[in-house]
Amino acid sequence: MLVGIPLEQSKSTIKPKECAVEMSDYLVEVAQKRCKKSFARVFNYFAPRLRSYALKQMGNEALAMELVQDTMSNVWQKAHLFNAEKGSPSTWIFTIARNIRFDMLRKLQNRKEDVCSDDLWPVLCEQTADLNEAPLDEQVTLEQIGYLFESLPVKQKAVIEAIYIDGKSQQEVADELDIPLGTVKSRTRLALQRLKGMLQSND
Amino acid sequence: MIRFHPSAQQLVSFVDGNLSPAVSLMVSAHCDMCSTCQRFVEQETERLAGSLLQDNGFKQVDLKADYSAMIAQITQAPSSVEADTGLNQKEISRKPSSKTEVSKAAIHSIELDGRNFVLPRTLQRYIEKTGGWSSLVGKLWQAPVDLGSQGVANFIYMAKGGSVPEHTHRGTEYTLVINGEFSDGINNYDSGDFIFMDGQNTHTPRSDNAQGCLVFTIVDQPLHFTSGIARLLNPFSHLFFR
Ligand SMILES: [Zn+2]
Repeated sequence: MLVGIPLEQSKSTIKPKECAVEMSDYLVEVAQKRCKKSFARVFNYFAPRLRSYALKQMGNEALAMELVQDTMSNVWQKAHLFNAEKGSPSTWIFTIARNIRFDMLRKLQNRKEDVCSDDLWPVLCEQTADLNEAPLDEQVTLEQIGYLFESLPVKQKAVIEAIYIDGKSQQEVADELDIPLGTVKSRTRLALQRLKGMLQSND
Repeated sequence: MIRFHPSAQQLVSFVDGNLSPAVSLMVSAHCDMCSTCQRFVEQETERLAGSLLQDNGFKQVDLKADYSAMIAQITQAPSSVEADTGLNQKEISRKPSSKTEVSKAAIHSIELDGRNFVLPRTLQRYIEKTGGWSSLVGKLWQAPVDLGSQGVANFIYMAKGGSVPEHTHRGTEYTLVINGEFSDGINNYDSGDFIFMDGQNTHTPRSDNAQGCLVFTIVDQPLHFTSGIARLLNPFSHLFFR
């Protein structure tokens, strides 16, 4: 058995488990109280690590800093989507960074409009960040879905109604509601995810 | 039962975000259907995230000035919850709906000839981008899926007795069985199976299942196949590769 581990070393190595608990608590503070101090703690811990990861992956300082900034912005804005029961803060933040990097690479290669990271890893989807474990073949009646539909947020409902009931195109809906096409798309997606989430929890 | 999975290497690259978008899509869709690979992916995600933490290669020095400005900038933004609610009530002036017949089909599945095929989660996002079905030779149907510059993927439906004439591959073809069974003279495949074929393989896909078989296919080098010469060399490539 080894004794006398140098003090310095044991100090600098934060045990992953303790760290996870600590960082989890900070994230909850950020989510619930918009606490900047807690965010700074999370930031100071993860930002340099993310930067080092990004540098290794992308080999470019500017891109690496962009990745750090985008990742940490998401952490700040979407801390409420973090769920400690589903994984550690580091796993959550890693998946955010991975997704952003994936999309950055696509952009660098001038690929528009194709597979984006959200499609593959819905880490940051509002409402149902846990679509992953979806069992697929649920039986739902039209009444049930009509009922669930009623519980959608009004804005999402309007978009879904126009597209799936009135059969309008997304562009038509955008024109009609006088909102950007991207907003129509994201609302549609959110609504469908939400419906799906509700369908699953309804089983 | 699923017998054909992505390789461990493919799954690891997928988690790390290093597979091409098109192949990532296939792997992701497979994981929607395969709990074994899903678990592997979860574990691998944790492992990679852990290595992010253990990496001590970063320099603590550059923590100072740049970062505090960045923190200040980031924390000026509202949370996405605040940003997404309470704004612009006027947009919501539409009448409340009385009859709400959102069909399940519009959300989860694609339809062919009166049958609905529920898609794995990943592919549901592409329902909007799926074109109409067109008939190919021998009881085969095809619906293209626009993946932007990634090329065109296809849903292919083989009705009972439908088959694709023998062909080889000039790149890597990925196929995911969505629903049903088919055989290609080498193996039998069932729902959820993840198959990849390259230039080494010659096969003759055929479905003798009463329910037919729906698959989703993609090639990772679409450019290779759009050239006229490749089409001449492989007269059937357009069936699967477009
Ligand atoms: Zn699998």
